[in-house]
Amino acid sequence: MEALSELLKEYALTTYSVKPNRLVIEIPKERVKNALKVIKEKHGDTGIYVSTIVGTDFPDKKQVRLDYYLVTHPDDKVYVLRTWLSREDPRVDSILDLFPGALSGECETHDLLGVVFEGNPFIKREFFAPTDVASKGVFPLRKDSGV
Amino acid sequence: MSRAKVISYSPWVAHFNTGACNGCDIEVLATLTPLYDPERFGVKLSPSIRHADILIVTGAVTKKAAERLKRLYEQMPRPKYVIAVGACAIDGGVFSKSYSVVAGADRVVPVDVYVPGCPPRPEAILDGILQLVQKLRSGGVSGGSK
Repeated sequence: MEALSELLKEYALTTYSVKPNRLVIEIPKERVKNALKVIKEKHGDTGIYVSTIVGTDFPDKKQVRLDYYLVTHPDDKVYVLRTWLSREDPRVDSILDLFPGALSGECETHDLLGVVFEGNPFIKREFFAPTDVASKGVFPLRKDSGV
Repeated sequence: MSRAKVISYSPWVAHFNTGACNGCDIEVLATLTPLYDPERFGVKLSPSIRHADILIVTGAVTKKAAERLKRLYEQMPRPKYVIAVGACAIDGGVFSKSYSVVAGADRVVPVDVYVPGCPPRPEAILDGILQLVQKLRSGGVSGGSK
């Protein structure tokens, strides 16, 4: 199977390796869904899955970093699709229609960090956050949330 | 004979994880295996909370789990008892100041026996159950009376 980095050549801003079997491919947020579509078409339903979605807050950069962890099957290679969103209005297209397994990752990242996944009808507050925190309108994983 | 004394001869336990890391859970599970043989004391795992006499709580009680813990406790028939297993179930442990945690199980339900440890050994958990059984035999605790 063709390596993912080769496949995403025209989408990638930068590609670097952070440790063995952990290749990070940075792509612009508008092209996340398209890139994942290309990957899905190449690897098929059983050849790849989204293992988790990790959001990290960077108040000094005024950005939120979003990492999609992709694992290919059967060679078990891990790829990180990384994108940066603005902290004020973090929006990105939902990949739920391509990868149904991304549901919990998107719901969690929305509830704890405030990222809006456009096209995901299931995202809501209080998925993980307790009622008293959610009702204050703060996102616990934001560094300045104060909880 | 009092009800408490009757159940002391074969107390059925139910186990509820209120947000544990699974460390205490595997020890509770080990306690119930033939290796430690709790059935020699009549101690059995209950198939349903509605048949349980003792509720074993593991893990820091999160705000979400607190509602469920209370609901489970209310479904148990009287007399009913609670054992908090592990440092987190006792007072929240290292998670006690977290925004999503209520802290110990005794903030939500009355706890009869505390078993410390991170996680406690199966012998310690079984000893905790037996200490409760001894208290029941001597008529020391009423168990969820109104």
